[in-house]
Amino acid sequence: MEATQNETMSIEAFNVISDVFSQAVTGELIGMSNFASLADTIDDVHEKMEAVEHANSERGHAEGFLNYAKKAGLKINVNLNGQYWGNVRKQFLSYAAKKDFIACLIIQEVILESFAVSMYTDVGHALGDEAGRLFLAIADEEKEHLEHSSDLLRAELKKDPVAFINKFEEIHSNCMTILAEFTATTDLRGHCGVCNGDCMKGALHHIGLDVTTMRGNALALYAQALDNIGIPGEKSIVWIARLPA
Amino acid sequence: MDSSSPGIDFAVIGHQDSWQNISSFINGIRDEGQELSVEKIKDIFSFIPPRDIFRVKVRSKTGAAINGVYIETFIDPGKLDASFTKANVSKVMQAISHAKKMGARIVALGGFTSIVLEGNLDPFAGDDTKFTTGNTLTASYIAKGIEKAAGQHGINLNEANVLILGATGDIGLACTHYFKNKAGKLLLCARNKSRLEKLATELINENTAIEYSSSMDELVSSADIIICVASSSGIPLHNCKEKVLICDAGYPKNIENSSGDTLNGNLFHGGMGQVSNGYEFSPDYSNQIYRYAAPHIIHGCILEAMVLAFENKFENYSSGKGNISMQKMEEIFGLSLKHGIGIAPFYNTKGLWET
Repeated sequence: MEATQNETMSIEAFNVISDVFSQAVTGELIGMSNFASLADTIDDVHEKMEAVEHANSERGHAEGFLNYAKKAGLKINVNLNGQYWGNVRKQFLSYAAKKDFIACLIIQEVILESFAVSMYTDVGHALGDEAGRLFLAIADEEKEHLEHSSDLLRAELKKDPVAFINKFEEIHSNCMTILAEFTATTDLRGHCGVCNGDCMKGALHHIGLDVTTMRGNALALYAQALDNIGIPGEKSIVWIARLPA
Repeated sequence: MDSSSPGIDFAVIGHQDSWQNISSFINGIRDEGQELSVEKIKDIFSFIPPRDIFRVKVRSKTGAAINGVYIETFIDPGKLDASFTKANVSKVMQAISHAKKMGARIVALGGFTSIVLEGNLDPFAGDDTKFTTGNTLTASYIAKGIEKAAGQHGINLNEANVLILGATGDIGLACTHYFKNKAGKLLLCARNKSRLEKLATELINENTAIEYSSSMDELVSSADIIICVASSSGIPLHNCKEKVLICDAGYPKNIENSSGDTLNGNLFHGGMGQVSNGYEFSPDYSNQIYRYAAPHIIHGCILEAMVLAFENKFENYSSGKGNISMQKMEEIFGLSLKHGIGIAPFYNTKGLWET
């Protein structure tokens, strides 16, 4: 979205792009906060430094989105305490308070990163130009977080498969339920508190997107992430089938 | 698969043939009162990557037991036509990778998924995992089923006109060759004219009595028996004889849903077998996606992989197109009987045939 494009962009497209950037900035700041909290749960010095580095990476992503938004004159609304983002953060903090590193990893690097990578990729392809390239570049970096966690979680699964799968199911139920409600065709628990006006989902077609495909692609990537970790298909299908829609 | 799971003797790769089944499966998993509409399910279902969804344990009458897994491709049942082939084949290939990763020794490619084997076996050459379309046993059950049902209906096969819809497909060709010396006359129908003409020429050169056409309407009124093994569904059937015997072995069903109630008394679902010593699913989805008019019924294509696993005969048994021999049809049928697996009782959507 270059400056020249702004001049010809419809007001509907401008509003949707503003909301898309608002969601992305909010999501990155949630990620930054989560990684910072995660650092506190880790005893290993090197892992602790790595978590801070990840937090800084998420800060950089938020900054990248904000810089672009400022240049393009987008209307950005950041709200870390809204219905969905706020509840995801609360879930994360409840596990961080128990110093449950594995649970924190599952929430941040599997659940949230699956959605981030998939949705940034869809937005990147739809927007094209500088804005699209920014989303695609950040999606690539988030993908590394997703892959990094898979190695750790595979090892954790091997230690005690039954306990690990039960724990994962509980976290899935607590967190994916929130994301499923957030990404349903209509917000199942009301306005997210981030979109500037009405929910943007009904207006995504103005930039060549639709929420059904974005949600489907995100769930597909999440399902693949579960496969990579080694969660049996007969379990993951039940988890996915039970999500709100 | 966790460390306590038994080894996998066979895998079945499949897809659902209706949104009704899919809705029943998804809502069967969900908590009571949380059922989703079909429209909501459609928004999600086909995005799900292929995965194993239940285990199967099958028992032979010899006392042997084998373990398998069902891998669902999550292909949209409304998108089985040629314009979606590329996307669907991609899902089948993902499912195949999953079956290999799970260590399945033989894999049945059910329904549409057999397309990758009928077209080209090269991608599977040299694999430890073997593959079969299961078409040989399916064709056997259709052929033997027709003989049995014709006897029950008082139809003399030697004098009967047997119409085969989808005559140039793999199972259609097998049925054509099975009945060419047994039926009074073969009526062959297929959409691909050049393939149909080639087959017709071969049969005429062998002095087989045939008629053929790409238009079913030109043949149907003289048919005493109709075998449906086409890859199309919703084919309307008009002007057929009052007591015509119909074996609808298509997946999805070729004509049953479009033929109305009048044919139901003479129509049965062909190509199906029944396991006398039973099978178990874990988790048990038999009330959702494997609902039949009698217990322990399964598609012939799936049973072929099971029979081969019972026999420790891990080979690409049915592959390519037009390779089903009469000898192999008899061989696999005999082996299935050895393990207590025979032709399913005759039934259709309304239930079992009245005896």
